[in-house]
Amino acid sequence: MTSRPEFSAQTLSVLAALCDQPSQWQHGYALAKQTGLKSGTLYPILIRLADRGLVEACWQDEPTPGRPRRHLYRLTSAGLASATGALASAAERAAEQAAAPRAGAGKPRAGVRPGPAARGAVAGMTS
Amino acid sequence: MAAAGRGAEWLLPAGRRDWVAALWAEAHEVPPGLRRLAWRAGGVWVLAREALLPRRLGRAALFAVAASAAAWAAWPQPGVGHVAEGRFNAIAAVLLVVLLPLLARRFFGPVSSGRIGRSLRVLCYAAILALLAAWTFLMVFSSLLPVKPAYQRIFCNDRCTGVPGRSSGGPTWQAEILIMLLILGYVGVTLFLTSRRPQVTRGTLAIGTGTGLLFGVVMFAVDPLGLSNVTTNPWLPGSTADPLVALAWILLFGGPAAAAVLAGRRCRGPDGARLPYNARIGQGIAAGVLASGLAAMFTTVLGTATTVLMLKSPWLLHWLNHGRRMTGFVTYRYELYTVNHTGAYVLMLMSFPVIGLFMSSLAAAIANPAPCHPPVRSSAPGLPITSGE
Repeated sequence: MTSRPEFSAQTLSVLAALCDQPSQWQHGYALAKQTGLKSGTLYPILIRLADRGLVEACWQDEPTPGRPRRHLYRLTSAGLASATGALASAAERAAEQAAAPRAGAGKPRAGVRPGPAARGAVAGMTS
Repeated sequence: MAAAGRGAEWLLPAGRRDWVAALWAEAHEVPPGLRRLAWRAGGVWVLAREALLPRRLGRAALFAVAASAAAWAAWPQPGVGHVAEGRFNAIAAVLLVVLLPLLARRFFGPVSSGRIGRSLRVLCYAAILALLAAWTFLMVFSSLLPVKPAYQRIFCNDRCTGVPGRSSGGPTWQAEILIMLLILGYVGVTLFLTSRRPQVTRGTLAIGTGTGLLFGVVMFAVDPLGLSNVTTNPWLPGSTADPLVALAWILLFGGPAAAAVLAGRRCRGPDGARLPYNARIGQGIAAGVLASGLAAMFTTVLGTATTVLMLKSPWLLHWLNHGRRMTGFVTYRYELYTVNHTGAYVLMLMSFPVIGLFMSSLAAAIANPAPCHPPVRSSAPGLPITSGE
């Protein structure tokens, strides 16, 4: 019996996007483009990750003239460790499911679709 | 939209306002048009979601208050017998109602999406908590010793012991265990049917609820099946020949069967496709059991509440018995009769779901004949087995 994954597919895709350049601050819209998530899905995920101390957020110091200040995000050191572990586990699960397609284990659960960033990260880890 | 969103930020807890402000600010980076509109619509969603989150805590607090009130009302009073049983009743019932949803979430998943599942759960908890207090009150009342010696001779025979005007006993262990089993069954089945994993469709829940409410209204109007002439609603003849009584009997057996047939035919999968054979049978049984269980609970709650109110408010007793001369003797006899009569509701709670299960299984099996061909396994790996219809 496999244990329940710690993060949802959408959360994994956000973690994967933040993992790409862990030291860089990233904007919400850039993350949305990378993950393919809508703002109504992305921001609650960022809020929960920040509540758990996995993501840190700050306001931009020098805003672009005529534009409001932007909120920036990046993984904390705990977040980086957690994200790396979670993405590795997801890659292992994907590899196991690919090895046993007849048992129906490879069929994703209804309503849960990994985002492009998570798919890319998992593919990178399995290759 | 952005201005309205910024204006509504005060609804949020302080720690969340930055996030919604960030989302609004980020909208300037999104290309104008539909994309920006969609981004801002997401902001409204986040705002609503984060603002409503504390309401979950409010609901939990409301439930705690209701459960405490029910336990307080059911707590044995000084001078009433069977104190240990009474305390067990109050504590165990509240614990059951609190713990069963947690267990149900673990085994059956969270509550199904849609308002009907949540509403059924809320109504079930409310009914159970109200009945808990009402049953204790009625059991104590039924063993209340009449003050007048003449009434003691007529109504108690040789069993009257103790102080007149005081109750000689609350619920016994047998009654307590029966109540616990009923609570366990009703709350458990409600949680199961309204959880996500059993995949009972919203249509099935709606059909079961509609049939159950209709059946319940008729049943309450005739006060269980017209088997007694003196009921909580004496303006009805209460004879077995009454058309309403006949309708109640028809609904008792025909209601779950009709709900089962309707649910099996009407309910569709999320993609609009007809459900496979096993799913149609399952949906039909779920609708039938829900209809009969809801009818029994609806009638019990209304009937018991009417009886309690009648004992608490003499005007209701006189209003219900309009046209009759209610002397002290007649009133006392009537009160005793109606209190003892509430035992019929417990019988209904036990028997109706069994009848519903039987009738809906039968009807679902007849209305949905088994496929002629054996199930065929699809050649594509990982796809589910199809019914071959």
